[in-house]
Amino acid sequence: MLELLSLTPIFKGLIVLALAGLTFPITGVYLFRLNLLPLRFMLMHGAILGGAMALALQINPFWTTIAVNLLLVLFMAKTSRSMKTDAGQISTFFMVISISLAFIFIYKFNVPAKDTLTLLWGNLFTLSWTEVTGIGLFAVLLAGFQYYFRRQLRALFFDREIAFTSGINESHLYYAVVLLIAITVALAMKLIGALLLDALLLLPPVIASFRARSLRGMIIGSAIWGGIFAIGGFLLSIATDIPASSSIAALASLAFIIIYLIRKK
Amino acid sequence: MRRTKSVNLWPNINEALEHSLIVRLNAQTVFTSDQHWLYPLFELEDFLKHSELSTSDLFLSDKIAGKAAACLIVFLGIKRCHIELLSERAIPVFKANQIEFTYDHLVDHIQCRTEDLITDKMNISDAYLFLRKRAGRVQGLSVKMENVSVRIEEKLVINQLNFDLGRGEQLIIHGANGAGKTTLLRSLLGFIPIVDGSIKIGDYFVGSDLWKVNRSIIGYVHQENIKNNFPISSGEVVQIGLGKSRISKSETDYRIEVAMRRTGSFHLIEQPYHSLSGGEKQRVSLARCLCQNARVFLLDEPTSFLDQQGKDGLLLLLHELSQNEAPTMVLVSHDLQWIEQLNWPRKELKGGRLC
Repeated sequence: MLELLSLTPIFKGLIVLALAGLTFPITGVYLFRLNLLPLRFMLMHGAILGGAMALALQINPFWTTIAVNLLLVLFMAKTSRSMKTDAGQISTFFMVISISLAFIFIYKFNVPAKDTLTLLWGNLFTLSWTEVTGIGLFAVLLAGFQYYFRRQLRALFFDREIAFTSGINESHLYYAVVLLIAITVALAMKLIGALLLDALLLLPPVIASFRARSLRGMIIGSAIWGGIFAIGGFLLSIATDIPASSSIAALASLAFIIIYLIRKK
Repeated sequence: MRRTKSVNLWPNINEALEHSLIVRLNAQTVFTSDQHWLYPLFELEDFLKHSELSTSDLFLSDKIAGKAAACLIVFLGIKRCHIELLSERAIPVFKANQIEFTYDHLVDHIQCRTEDLITDKMNISDAYLFLRKRAGRVQGLSVKMENVSVRIEEKLVINQLNFDLGRGEQLIIHGANGAGKTTLLRSLLGFIPIVDGSIKIGDYFVGSDLWKVNRSIIGYVHQENIKNNFPISSGEVVQIGLGKSRISKSETDYRIEVAMRRTGSFHLIEQPYHSLSGGEKQRVSLARCLCQNARVFLLDEPTSFLDQQGKDGLLLLLHELSQNEAPTMVLVSHDLQWIEQLNWPRKELKGGRLC
């Protein structure tokens, strides 16, 4: 199995998955705490729109999906605030408009639909070194953001109004969090696909929350479980010759069931 | 009229005072002050807070004392004193509190407006709080609403409302459900924009750029009915009060401990916040406001989810806060029985106005 790591695409895949596994679940904690779970559906559809646009315009799909998702969350956050409506509800509208635009691009530019829909499965082994570097930098940025703003994030997640009265600029912090979620979802879709990204984003925080007594505990627990699922799932996929995304999701699900049963006892 | 009488119980201190105020323990001078008016006594209060001296063992010599100074001397726990120039109005205060006193000169009254303002209805605590406010030794800031109107979905909830609270004063706003009490608090906090008028907290107009930078002067305690299971300890909730200030860990821990001890919640520091009772959550929330160094406290229906024991505890705590830190406090409640016991000034919000 080790000799497979000497192959550049597989080596790059391992590095990227390890970085993603250790840091992406941080945004899963954000999704839970800000009750933004519907947001990721909008972002998944946004990524498909980005993919369709990139194929239609023959530009880099990796960066296009990120750009589209960033624009979507900015519109969503702005609309939600100005209409004083729940962000989850607004994201439903943007989800629908995204997928409709995606199909318009596919139809009008004769984009092969199956190429766009490969985003649903992810494509871990086709990453360029630039993309690997980009994901690495983002992972560092995410971890740094969490560390530097840990106190303010704790206030934001506890109660936005209390955070506001404590002098924290909760509005800017909220925008920053939503932008980070958008980028994470776009990157996770590239790595393990839209259908299985919850295994990397959401299951680690869910498992960590079983024992966590503080935000710090939840973040650290999520990062550890995310790292275990990503690296373990990757090695499992090589050993058993199954897709990495499936093995990560299967491993995370198995861990969830075991921990759930232990807790139940 | 001017009378003179000197009693030589302590002959060595009957010489002219070198300072406005001298405090001795046995023959040794432990405190002096050269300030004027009541400030030497307030300085003495600060000194005593940080010393381990027993106030009943101290002997105080003051140049001049009227009723106001007598009330402060009693409040500080001093049992023996000598006054060079004593107002007759101070004598009943000393006698009622078994203070041993002597004087050089006795006068009918001192020409001081403060002495006239201390009424016989005031007990020592009331007089102390009144004097602190008058001396500007309160944490609170003034709160002023001028012709304020607030609309919620086209409905005029607050209509040309006015009120003016001085530093360290308290106000209870009561009224029927839906009268706009919470809206009033939320507009004070800047959560709801006003359509007319102005709100001023201290020197800052709510909504102005200066206020945005300094908005942590307002501490907010909302109804503790939120089913928030966020994994956070009580100590971490109090730490939120520090906002984005970047201070050392030791200073952070110190400020959290001081605030939690002040509200009697330090034993809860490691407890998950969501597992606390309603009364404990209120204590932790007030500690958060103290840690924030808030100078105006806004409390929204603080008794909503409290049992009788919790209500009694909160009553005592608010009374202590108003006596010590003395922030300006605005409390919204419909619990008439409880606010009766709190004995703060109160106004009813009706038809969008206070009456």
